[in-house]
Parts: sequence; structure tokens; C-alpha cells
Amino acid sequence: MKLLIGQILPYFTVTIFILGMLYRLGRWAGARIVHNITLSPWLQTKGQVVLRVGTEAFLFRNLFIYDKALWAGALLMHFALFNILVGHLVGFGFLGTQFTLIPVLGITPELSLEMSNLFGAIFGIVLFVALLYLLYRRLAKEAVKLVNKPSDNLWLLYLLVLVGIGNIMRFVPDYHIEYILVRDYITALILFRPVVHMELLNNGFFLVHLLLVQILLIVFPFSKLMHVFGMFAERYIVNRVYHDPAPDLPNVDVVAARQAGLGVPDGNTAGEGV
Amino acid sequence: MPEYKGMVQPARASLTELRKIHIEPVPDELKPEKAVEYLDQLRKKFRSFVLAMESCTKCGQCAENCHTYLGTRDPNNIPTNRAELIRKIYKRYFTPEGRWFGKLVGAEDISLDVLEQWYSYFYQCSQCRRCAHVCPFGIDTCEVTFIGRQVLHWLGITPKLHATTGAAMEKSGNHSALPKPGIVDTLEFMSQEIMDEFAVEVEFPVDKPGADIMYIPSSADFLLNPYTLMGAGMFFTYIGANWTIPSTVTEAGNFGFLFDQYSTQRGNVMRLLNAAQELGVKKIVWGECGHGWRAAKMYIPTLADRPVRWPITHIHDEVANLIRNKELKLDPLKNSKPVTLHDPCNYVRACGLNENMRVIIKACVTDFREMNPHGADNFCCGGGAAILFDDPEMYQRRIMFSKQKAEQVKATGVGENGDGILCAPCSICKAQLYPMVEEHNLGVEVKGLIDLVGRALVWK
Ligand code: HEM
Ligand code: SF4
Ligand code: SF4
Ligand code: SF4
Repeated sequence: MKLLIGQILPYFTVTIFILGMLYRLGRWAGARIVHNITLSPWLQTKGQVVLRVGTEAFLFRNLFIYDKALWAGALLMHFALFNILVGHLVGFGFLGTQFTLIPVLGITPELSLEMSNLFGAIFGIVLFVALLYLLYRRLAKEAVKLVNKPSDNLWLLYLLVLVGIGNIMRFVPDYHIEYILVRDYITALILFRPVVHMELLNNGFFLVHLLLVQILLIVFPFSKLMHVFGMFAERYIVNRVYHDPAPDLPNVDVVAARQAGLGVPDGNTAGEGV
Repeated sequence: MPEYKGMVQPARASLTELRKIHIEPVPDELKPEKAVEYLDQLRKKFRSFVLAMESCTKCGQCAENCHTYLGTRDPNNIPTNRAELIRKIYKRYFTPEGRWFGKLVGAEDISLDVLEQWYSYFYQCSQCRRCAHVCPFGIDTCEVTFIGRQVLHWLGITPKLHATTGAAMEKSGNHSALPKPGIVDTLEFMSQEIMDEFAVEVEFPVDKPGADIMYIPSSADFLLNPYTLMGAGMFFTYIGANWTIPSTVTEAGNFGFLFDQYSTQRGNVMRLLNAAQELGVKKIVWGECGHGWRAAKMYIPTLADRPVRWPITHIHDEVANLIRNKELKLDPLKNSKPVTLHDPCNYVRACGLNENMRVIIKACVTDFREMNPHGADNFCCGGGAAILFDDPEMYQRRIMFSKQKAEQVKATGVGENGDGILCAPCSICKAQLYPMVEEHNLGVEVKGLIDLVGRALVWK
């Protein structure tokens, strides 16, 4: 088991993830933007486009305008998720000392580690609760029930389990894992060194967490989670700069036309004057 | 066949009618496999379609924002579910997850029943793009129904209304099958009407060589909305324009856009460019028609098979421009009834006419009341994409589709005394709303925007 999940599967996962992404994004890129289907009122500058797409991507502008409850749930979930993903990278990378890198504040390594733990704990809980809310919404709200497919619920359940196990490792001291162990493990994988002997892999929760993450990455390119990229690709089609051609009628002189009394029946025409 | 397994459907074009628009129907037993083949061609071409298929998260936000779902509560009228009717096939045949885990992601095999679902629900979509406007990603269900309708058309499943209108355009240059003598007669009659009612002398030059401006009216303006065409004639006379109406294209609409963007829509574009070249005009100005204006403004650049040498603007753009420059003298007192504006979807979500319409209406009427919501947020009238079917079942649907609009109009209070005006400057909106304001007892009269301009012009 340890050999399979901890040593062999990761290479397979990374390969499938990369190939899958190339396949899916290639499929999108293969089709063209045929006609101009920009949504109006049009954005007038590149800056406005960046602002618009940015507020949609990072603040969920449309959800905010049209459905505040979904906005709150979705934003909390994604914000926590984003922080946790980044947290995993820098936390294991810098062993929790990442905050010392912020200039001026003078944060000590000890404080940084505590902050890392604190943020990890907060976002872990926020993410879990937000996922619960989104699942509740899927099961309770009429319009959402009507559009739901089994896989939509499954994703939320899957993430709940994945995040739940992560939270167990953070909050139950017996299963807690030091950052350094994970860094050593990942370093060994990158250097193609054996890892099976590592103490880390004796932690059942860690093994399951690792397995779930890998399955997620394998399925990711073939799933609805690709909306991360879909969102930018779609916005690239419907939100772009468009300038109206200037209105102006050739050879039209309204003042002259009115002085000539065009359209006004005979007898009143200024030019002819009976 | 007005109903199929409980689904409402518009009457279909017959074999002869299909042949008139160059379609040879695929035999029933081959339809399913051909549908997949055509879909495969199209999905490799249109990225807007691919992304609608592949990046929806099923958040459900579009549901309460589509007037067809609000009016019918039919789950298949939820935009993402409408798209799902094709998505389930798309997944099954074109994606690994659909091939291997079909049940989980909701993939399904193609069958005649599925095609019947397409026919029913793609022709209940008014392609108004409100779903795209509210979707967190901007997913445009209209792109899905365009493609679904195209596939159906290639299979030989097309509404009678759309097919015969497409054929009429090819034959006579307009949707109403008006021949040139009829056009000239009607225009002379309009000149007379203008003289009688407004005491103004207006001539409608047809095919005038050497004209500077080619005006493209909606053919419905010859019969159903005469005041819109009369308003345009008065406007061009007022400003002293050297203008003309081409007898070969007396149609601002382009039904090809709605069911056959490959052949019918492109054919109409070529016809227009030929007319402009023959008459030697300098500019093309478009009349009041929502889908037609979108088809002209946004699609001619990519559909034309040659460089387009004529700038094309909408008559609202030109009127608004002259109002901004204070060149038109308008007397709002001539339109003193309470007025509300129905924003044609194609104008506000696809053609950016939002501001210009308001500049015009505020200059022309005394009591203007905005609907809520309005502008880009507006709801469709329920007739968009020419789903103006008269078969009893479909007509019932049209009443349901216009429910949202009816409530909006009521809330403005313009019809309280039975003398309100509902300004709906699009031929399809007008055709939908004429009967609907009666069905919903709104106490308003439906008018175009140029109607109000014509009425408000001060000649002396
Ligand atoms: C800029 C990037 C992203 C944007 C703009 C975005 C936006 C959205 C939006 C608007 C929704 C619909 C709201 C909802 O159903 O809750 C959603 C749902 C979802 N997103 Fe994202 N997302 C992004 C990145 C991600 C990533 C990286 C993941 C990774 C796993 C993810 C996972 C999910 C899941 C699981 C749902 C479904 C929630 C549900 O079923 O209710 N998102 N996303
Ligand atoms: S709003 Fe957009 S993402 Fe949400 S269900 Fe509708 S189409 Fe899908
Ligand atoms: S385009 Fe309009 S009618 Fe069609 S699904 Fe979207 S909101 Fe509904
Ligand atoms: S008919 Fe009118 S309101 Fe309705 S889609 Fe066209 S433009 Fe929109």
C-alpha cells in the first residue's frame, strides 16, 4: 500500500494531470472564436476588461449582483481553498517560516510558524463549513436541485472528506504531522529516491489524504473543476473591447435642410415663397 | 405536430418548404447518427459552444433569470438544462468522462427522442442572452441553441415559420413576400398618410441611383408598424438626406441568424452588399429590428465574403447623435401619454444601444418611466428569436413567456388609465407584444421608437 500510494502513484498522477490538461485545453484551443459575441454595454479599454474579468474571477461580481447567498458561500469556499492551496506550497516549502519573508514587520520564525498554523486552522474550518453550505444548497434549493447531476454532489462530498481528513491531522495531536516530514518526502519524490521507509507513510490519515489528492488531480482535467480555466476562456470571448463606429450621415446638413423648409408643403417653403 | 410526448413543438416545414431553402431532409433512421456527425463538425469550430458545454458548474443562477423558466416553471427551460439537452450527447460522444462514466456525469445516447427534445426546447429559447449576462462565467446558452437549431435544420427539422420566412426572403427580398410594386404602392400610401396626419410632405425614394444613404426597414413596418417607417421617412426628409430604400432588400431582419447561420444568413448578407454596390450608396442605416440589427452589426464583418465598404449604423445611433448635437427640434408635448421602454435584448446585450435609446425617448416624450429591471438587465418580451408561433400550444407558451414582461409593465403604472405607451423598438418585440398586451390586459399601446420621433419633430 505504502509503495503503491506513496511511491508509484505520484508519478502516474503527475503524468496524467499534465497530459489531461494539455488534452482538454487543446480541445478548447482547437475551436475558434468565429463571430463577435461580446456582451454590451461594451468595455472601452483593456484596463476595463482586466478590471471586469478580475472582479468576476476574484470577487465573483455576477454572483454578488444576482444571488448574495451563493456569493457568500462560493466566495468563502474559494477564498479558503485558495489560501489552503498556497498554504500547502509555501508552508511545506518554507517549513512555516514564510511570514518572516515579509519585509518591515520583523516577524520571527516562531511567530511565523504559529501564524501558519493559525491560518491553516481557520481556513481549514471555513472551507469545510462553506462546502457544507454549498452541499446543503444543492440538496435544498429548488432551482439548483433541478440542474444537479450526481457528480455535482459527489464533488462536494469528496472535497468534504478530503478537507475533513486534513483537519483531523491538524487538530488531533496524535495524527499531527510536522512540515519537515512532508518536505523531505516531496524532495525525495522529486529526486526519484525511495520513500517507502519514511515514518510519515505509517500515518493512515496522511496516506488516505495523499490518495484522495492524487485521485483529484487525475480526474481534474476531465471534470467540472476545469471551470477555473473555463471562466477565463469564456470571459475572453464575451468581455472584450469594442468601439462603435461613429455615427455620421454623409452629405447631411440639417440647418440648410430646415432653412429650405424641406417637407413643409408648398406655400410655406422659405426658398420658393409664393 | 404540435406536441410530442408531452412537449410542445412548433409546426414543421414540409418537404416542399424545406427544399425551397435548399434542405433535403435526412431519413428518420439516419437522423441520430447524422446529428452526432454534424455536431462533431460544429463543436470543432465554435469555441463559444465548447465552453458552454464544458465549463458550467451547475450553480443554478441562470434559472431564475430566464423568463421562459419563470413563465413556465418547466425544468428544461432553465438555461443550463436547455444546454444539457445537447451537453448529455456531447459528453457521451466527445469526452472521455462521458464515455466511461456516463451515468455519473449525466451522459446519454442519441436517439430520435432527444432530437424531439431539442426541437421543443431550442425553439422555446428566445436567444436573449440574459443567461450569459448573469452567469458567473458568461456562459451563453444562445450559442448552444444556435448550434442545436443548425443541426436540426440540416436534418430537416425546421419550424414552418422560419423556413417559409427564409424562403420568402430569398424570393422577394423581405419576410412578408412583398413584391416591388406592392412596396412602392404602400410607400405612396404612407406619403399620403403623413400628409393627412402631420401635414408634411415626405417622399420614399425606392432604388434611387446615386443616393448617399441606403435605409433598410423591417418589412413588418410596411404592414404592421407603419408609423415606424413613416417616422423614418419623416426623419430623413427633415434632415435633408439623400436616401433610398432598396427594393431588393426591404428587410432588416435575418431569420438565417436564428436557424441557419451557414447558408440562409450568409445569403442575406451577400444580397445586402450587392444592393449597396448597385445603388452606389455611401452608408447603410438599419431600421428597428433586434435580431436583425445584431446579425447586421456583429455578424456581417465575419460572414461577408468580401471587404465591406459601407459603414453600417442603426437609425437610433443617427437620431441620438443629431439630438446630442442639438440639430433636431423635438417637441415632447406631442407625445404626452405615459411611456415606458421595453429594451429589446439584442439591442442592449449584444449591440450597445442602451444609452442612445434613452437619449431619444427622453427628448421625445414628456412622461417617461423606466421599467425595473431595464437596460442590459431587462427581460425579453418572450418572442425573441422569432418564436412567434401561432399553433395553439405554442401560443399558450408565448403568453407564459411574456408573463415577466407583463408584470414589469404593470409595475410602471403607465397603463393605469388605459392610455399608456409601451415603446418596443424591434419588429419581433412588436409582433409578440401586440397580442400580449391584450392577453395580459396592460392598458398600453405598443409603438416603435422612431414612431415617437416622427411625431415629435417640429417642422417650422
Ligand atoms: C479563479 C478561479 C475560480 C473561479 C472564478 C471559480 C468560480 C466558481 C463559481 C462562480 C462557482 C459556482 C458557485 C457554486 O456552485 O458554488 C464555482 C463552483 C465550484 N468551484 Fe470554483 N472557481 C475557481 C477555482 C476553483 C478551483 C481551483 C477549484 C478546485 C478544486 C474549484 C472548485 C469548485 C467546486 C467544487 C465548485 C462547486 C460548488 C458547488 O457544487 O456548489 N473552483 N466556482
Ligand atoms: S449560471 Fe452559468 S455556471 Fe451557473 S448553471 Fe447557469 S450556465 Fe451553469
Ligand atoms: S437566451 Fe434567454 S431564453 Fe434562452 S436560455 Fe438564455 S435566458 Fe433563457
Ligand atoms: S424579440 Fe425583442 S425582447 Fe425579445 S429577444 Fe428580440 S429583441 Fe429581445
